[in-house]
Amino acid sequence: MNRISRHPMRRILLSAVVLLALVGVFIVRLIDIQVVRAAELSEQANDVRSRPMTVFGTRGEIVDANGNVLADSVMRYDIVLSPKQAAKAVVEREVPDPEHEGQTTETEVPLAQLAAELGAVVGLTGDQVQGIITSELAEDPEADYAYVAKLVDTETYEAVKALEIPWVYADDHPSRRYPNGAVAGNLIGWVDEDGNAGAGLELGEDECLASENGEVTSLRSLKDWVEIPGTEVVHKQAHDGGTLQLTIDSDLQWAVQRIAEAQVQATGAQWATVTVMEAKTGRLLAVADVPTVDPNDPASTPEGDRGSRSFTAPFEPGSTFKALTAASVIDHGKADPLSQIIAPYRYLPPNGANINDSGYHEDERLTLTGVLIESSNTGMSQFGERISDQERYDDMLRFGLGAETEVGFPAEAPGDLHGVPEEWDNQTKYATMFGQGLTTTAVQIASIYQTIANGGVRMPVTLVDGCRDENGKVTRTPSEGTRVVSEQAADQTSQMLERVYQDGWLADKWNIPGYRVAAKTGTAQVPDGQGGYQTGYLVSVSGFAPADDPEFVVSVSIMNPVKMNSSAASAPVFQEVMSQVLKKYRTVPSGAPAPELPATW
Amino acid sequence: MSAVPAQSLPAPRRIPQPPRRLRAAPDAAARAKPRLGYAIIALGGVALIVVAQLLLSIAMTQGAYEVDAQQTKQAALALEEQKLSEDLDRLESPQYLAVNAEALGMVPNANPVYLRLSDGAVLGQPTAAGGGVASGPLVPNLLITDVPLITQQQTGETPGGGDPGATGEAAAHVPDQTPVPPPVDGALPTPATH
Repeated sequence: MNRISRHPMRRILLSAVVLLALVGVFIVRLIDIQVVRAAELSEQANDVRSRPMTVFGTRGEIVDANGNVLADSVMRYDIVLSPKQAAKAVVEREVPDPEHEGQTTETEVPLAQLAAELGAVVGLTGDQVQGIITSELAEDPEADYAYVAKLVDTETYEAVKALEIPWVYADDHPSRRYPNGAVAGNLIGWVDEDGNAGAGLELGEDECLASENGEVTSLRSLKDWVEIPGTEVVHKQAHDGGTLQLTIDSDLQWAVQRIAEAQVQATGAQWATVTVMEAKTGRLLAVADVPTVDPNDPASTPEGDRGSRSFTAPFEPGSTFKALTAASVIDHGKADPLSQIIAPYRYLPPNGANINDSGYHEDERLTLTGVLIESSNTGMSQFGERISDQERYDDMLRFGLGAETEVGFPAEAPGDLHGVPEEWDNQTKYATMFGQGLTTTAVQIASIYQTIANGGVRMPVTLVDGCRDENGKVTRTPSEGTRVVSEQAADQTSQMLERVYQDGWLADKWNIPGYRVAAKTGTAQVPDGQGGYQTGYLVSVSGFAPADDPEFVVSVSIMNPVKMNSSAASAPVFQEVMSQVLKKYRTVPSGAPAPELPATW
Repeated sequence: MSAVPAQSLPAPRRIPQPPRRLRAAPDAAARAKPRLGYAIIALGGVALIVVAQLLLSIAMTQGAYEVDAQQTKQAALALEEQKLSEDLDRLESPQYLAVNAEALGMVPNANPVYLRLSDGAVLGQPTAAGGGVASGPLVPNLLITDVPLITQQQTGETPGGGDPGATGEAAAHVPDQTPVPPPVDGALPTPATH
């Protein structure tokens, strides 16, 4: 007792010093860990216990007017193996023990067998799988990553997982799928293996469809890799793409493609396009381009056939264009359906041009209606010259020619009106009256007929109804019409086109019982690219129905149908497509017959 | 001790005493009891909190495993859902419906006729449907190339792009029996009710 209490101060001091030293060591250590090396250490800790995980944003769907899915996003898998591990690892499996009934024993499985099993699942031979391993190892003995198969579907993925080969694993690979195959494949386009939009609306509307991947990390238990609650950190929010709604009806699109393809095969044509448009709104219900790409496998279609010619390939429209010239002349008050001219076989206007009709005939006394029925170039020239070139040119522009349509399809062509009227040579001045010497796209032709069908009011061409983003906000394509010609001019043109349908040479080929139809054929020469024309023709029919209250515009173009080189090749397509459209939309048949208009005088 | 107050005691004498020293008051025995109670309450509280935290932590951990198990299950179900919806989507495609309709002997009729209910008028000209073109290869669809037609399927089989035997579970549901062809007596099957 005495001894201890003799120098209490010294003892207290000693303890204090020791304590202080200890605390000091702790504080230094604490600052070192918590402040100086804090970032480095927590990174190390996270490396061990957490992995950054990609949260895949889903690329938006493309749906048709009725919500049927034309393109959607699916998860696909890349099957990957580690060549290094494959060469080293010993894989054991439990198999029934031959010596003890009902028990299992572990046996080593040789690499060749595993390779064969894996190959069988992904569609390779065992030798091919082993070839991948050996060739990778030959390049780099430490190779740890080699693709066995890319973009396999869920069934294959599960089958691979069921094999339980430790050196084989699967990477998620978001991909795109087109359940309806080639239906509207020309419009939709596709997305390539790396997720980049390749063509069509996938490319043109990428802004709406594109998604953004996010990233999260969370801590996990080391033993069984279970997420520790409350440790998830979102580094980047994932965003889904918007849903793109088209005006296309996929059933109709299929029917139209089928009809067009059948005719292309029957006539040996190079290609065909069919456009179906709502007359009152300018909405495209179907745009068929045959041959059509199947976006599930774009490579199987020749490169030139993978897009949409309706938008991207302008051509000289030929006689279907005469409806525009007629409407233009009537609108300027220089003619009416009964205006009379004498149409010779060859017409030599004062400016030195040389116009002739497709087949020889004696002079004919035709009305404007008769000119359209006979599709007389010489007759049309005599009407077209009643208004100035500039007036005709301005009308063409207002009908939507010479500029891309409102659709803004990728690589859409504006068409070429052969420059401005001042640049037109004497022949072109007349050729542009009946659709030669200038180019338009198939969609532009449909738009001309839509304008005439809609009482002279042109509606913007619409292919995309709108985009609904991930929050449900819908962006709609605005749609406001512009008057191009007077209602009277449009109606009179429509009535003349009805006479063409009833009295033209194809009347029995395109007859749709019960309905009044307005239509015009075209047989256009195709430039050969060297200043002349090819021997084949681009044959076409454009029209609308029911003519008493137009609802639908159908425009058909077939390139060089070698077995039937006239618009007789396109007429049945028009007839079938228009019948299908009228039937599909339950259009009530017309009551009264078409008004009579004399063709001759 | 007597209850009588000690009134009769003489006044104490003052005797000189050594100077008093201040000392800490002795612990009051009466106070010892409540202090022990507090200690028990405090310690008990601490123990309770520790136990509660422990239990909570156990529950959380248990929950984490449950969440993990459910997530695994969800992933498996999502895979299943994806497979089924992919199957459904390709079976819904117009190509598949068309070839099946044709396989069953249907042809499209391009000339519809309407009956107007208000006056009973028949609109349109009734025309018999002709044999259409086989539409099978006209509009390709890579996704349905391996899917059998409805007429090629046997009873009990579900149409699907994949091999139904690929997953052992799916195969287990298919009854192992020899397929019975539907009775063909030249007429469409009609329901037995009247």
